[in-house]
Amino acid sequence: MSLQHLLTELVLMPIIAFVVGLFLVLMMRKLGARIQRRVGPPLLQPLYDILKLYGKQTQISHGLIHEIGIVMAVGGYIAAETFLPVPGMNGIADKGGLVTLAYIMMVPSLGLAMGVGQCANPNGSIGISRALTAMFAYDIPFILVIFGVAYQYGTTSLTDVIAIQQQQGMAGWGVVQMPLLFIAGLIALPAMMGKHPFEIYVAPAEIATGPMVEMGGKFLGGLFIMQCFQYYTISVLFVTLFLGGGENWLTFLIKVFAVAAIPLSIAYVFPRYRTEDVLRMMWKWPVILGLLGLALVMG
Amino acid sequence: MSLLDKLLILSLLTVVLALFMGNRKMAGWSVTVVYAGQLVALWMMSGLGYGEISEIRSAVELTIWQYRLHWQFDALSWFFAFITVAAAMLASWFSAGGWAQAYREQGGSIRLFNVALALNVLGMLVLLASGELLSLFIGWELVSWATFMLLALGSMRYAMHYLVYAIVGAVVILAAMLMTYVQVGSLEFNQVAEAAAGLDNTSIWWIGGLFVIGFGIKMALLPFHLWQTKAYAATPGPGAAFLGAISSRMGLFAIVLILVKLIGISRLLEMPISFTFLSARDLLAWVAVFTIIFPTLTALRQHDARRLLAWHGIGQGGYMLLGIVVADDLGSAGGLMHVFNHATYQAVLFMSVTAVVYRTGTSDLNKLGGLFTRMPLSFLAMLIGIIGLAGLPPMNGFVSKWLVYRSLIIDGSPMLFLGTVIGTLGTILSVYKLIHNTFLGQLRLEHETVEEAPLSMVLPMMLLSAVIFTTGFFPGLVLGWVASVQAAVGLPVLAYHAGGIDSANGGLDMIWVVSVLLAGFAIATLIFFSGGRSRRVHQLDNYAGGHFLTADTRYQYSDNFYPGLMHLIGPWYRSSFKRMEQGLVSMLDFLSMLASGWHRHGHPSFYLLTLVVVVLFTVVM
Repeated sequence: MSLQHLLTELVLMPIIAFVVGLFLVLMMRKLGARIQRRVGPPLLQPLYDILKLYGKQTQISHGLIHEIGIVMAVGGYIAAETFLPVPGMNGIADKGGLVTLAYIMMVPSLGLAMGVGQCANPNGSIGISRALTAMFAYDIPFILVIFGVAYQYGTTSLTDVIAIQQQQGMAGWGVVQMPLLFIAGLIALPAMMGKHPFEIYVAPAEIATGPMVEMGGKFLGGLFIMQCFQYYTISVLFVTLFLGGGENWLTFLIKVFAVAAIPLSIAYVFPRYRTEDVLRMMWKWPVILGLLGLALVMG
Repeated sequence: MSLLDKLLILSLLTVVLALFMGNRKMAGWSVTVVYAGQLVALWMMSGLGYGEISEIRSAVELTIWQYRLHWQFDALSWFFAFITVAAAMLASWFSAGGWAQAYREQGGSIRLFNVALALNVLGMLVLLASGELLSLFIGWELVSWATFMLLALGSMRYAMHYLVYAIVGAVVILAAMLMTYVQVGSLEFNQVAEAAAGLDNTSIWWIGGLFVIGFGIKMALLPFHLWQTKAYAATPGPGAAFLGAISSRMGLFAIVLILVKLIGISRLLEMPISFTFLSARDLLAWVAVFTIIFPTLTALRQHDARRLLAWHGIGQGGYMLLGIVVADDLGSAGGLMHVFNHATYQAVLFMSVTAVVYRTGTSDLNKLGGLFTRMPLSFLAMLIGIIGLAGLPPMNGFVSKWLVYRSLIIDGSPMLFLGTVIGTLGTILSVYKLIHNTFLGQLRLEHETVEEAPLSMVLPMMLLSAVIFTTGFFPGLVLGWVASVQAAVGLPVLAYHAGGIDSANGGLDMIWVVSVLLAGFAIATLIFFSGGRSRRVHQLDNYAGGHFLTADTRYQYSDNFYPGLMHLIGPWYRSSFKRMEQGLVSMLDFLSMLASGWHRHGHPSFYLLTLVVVVLFTVVM
């Protein structure tokens, strides 16, 4: 593959991720609205939100790290997208693989945490403390899933994982081969996306939206962009690990939206868990399922 | 006279120089220059590190009762020696300027500090150069006492605590050596290695077990870790940076020597533990994983920055041992590379915290905050250090941990893998608390006038930060040395390239990873600045739920930073190890009381009888 070709892919992959991410955000908001018997926002609302925030006149900065934090949060995800193969484009997926991707996905969290830390607002810091605790909670089942998949397919390269699944057809998909790990992953998924019922760290009424408390204008806009990437990355990762990746763009996108929609529409009707309950929940059911799934995979 | 002799003489000269320079102003600088000289001498031996020459022998030999003591350097010794001397040079550089002055003013003796540091380096070099088990033991004792001297500068009480552990360790090692000598009839490495293959499992259990316990005490393997944290945290800052970087790794060096070079990890696999499915290797791997998990979670609870770091130092040792006992090319490379990586970021973290202590006088995380605006370079050093410690890209800590993770996946050990990841996540939580409570959040009124640390402290920190980043960008720089070490101790050798490793089923190329990450940050910066102009506001100008904030109101969140987590895992902290230690101490107390009672009553005939029975018993058996 020529360098020019590769560079084109590296540019295209984050852009596609952002666009798909915008629609994922729209879908989430629509879903939430429909469950609460509202109409929900129009088609381009997520984009309008971001443009509005970037164009605002009042932009409050609490210092350099506040700004760098937002840059790290967005930039980390832009980099992460190039490690996620999509139909027809592999980017640099062979240079990193599954474990690298999992750790690159922590860079934006750390960036956001630093940015919030500089704001000197206790509500923000409390939010970050809760968010990091939640990360500690959901990463345990997630890491079992990663191990299971890597062991099952004998590789940590995402391109190989996809190739193996597509060769064997539906029967070779991760969801058929490792159903228990798939369920464990699905339980962790809403927490990884920071959605219902695991979003105690934003708790508007209690800690004034936590990490977002001092964020306005392009700072909040950056977080919106980060959210688009976040939904996209996690959904695509699950499609890659369990649903055979994408043969073509149509089936790929259907799978991506389904992965995001199904667990969230179930989770939406639950009330929020407290932080310690998030830990309890995440360290119990998905971990039990994950360990059983691992036993099946390795047995 | 070989290069090795010159290096050792130079190291001895450093001690002498430190002694004569005393408390003079130039003392620290002159010692630093000689350390740099040692580093140059080591670099002249770099053929060892790149596998061009296999060993450099010392011309000095001692013969005592027909036993030949000799010294030599191979790739393993060179790798550890290079880290040791580099760490000492940077620590000395860091201490030479403003810090030394402040230390003198507080009544400390720079002479003692410099001598103690130089003695540590000398002792370690002698240890690393040991050519058979007896010289290893001599070097070991030198290191133990030198460490004691450095620790005693901080707190005599904790240093004594260490000393008790060190003496127990030395006795255990001596016992293991005696057993080796009885079984093999020699203490030469090659002869022991040859004979080890023929020994039965029971002997290997005893010999290997005793060696691991003895050396593990230095490395603070669980459950022998209690001495380390308090002692390191109390040591004067640059000394703590040096000790935290490399001192404990001498235990790892010796364990690699014994387990890998002499016994062989494959042998450990053939030693099952009755009634379990585990082998001796699995036991060691689990000890390593517990050494990762428990100290890391304990670090999470600390509110003193230095103790927090010292606890992490114990935890990171677990990754090294784990990688080495997995013993494939990836895992052992990860374990060995982690020695280097850990030295770099642990040193920079201790230095950064020391710089904060130098300026503010405290390392209590509840009494700091917001220092980024006053000490931005120290912040940068700590940031790069914590990313390395947490093992996130793009820093070097990620590469070594990635190698360990990868080998555990290949090895098919999900629970060990899970343990290492729990360690990493716990580390992320605790290092965020460290940087948040020190440099982020609200600046206290009394710290308004704080300035950046002096250049003599900032430069070594920046240098180390650059090393952390560069070896993360081009891990091949370190992997070259690591591959030579693997070849020297008989491990499978890693095939590497400048950016990491190629592998059919999932490689790593850090050049790409880091470049893409930096490109991502660059694009994100462009996106960020495409928005409207932002206005900087004062730290008190924020949303306080309708209150007006003033400078004398603390508006900071630092104490009990993770209440949700502690609510759940708080009850797990039971100080079980501390109680175990206390139990052991009371038992010893009781025994010594009994013994002294016997002694005072005086029953010579009874003693004689006991002695005769014991002797007879031994002879008959």
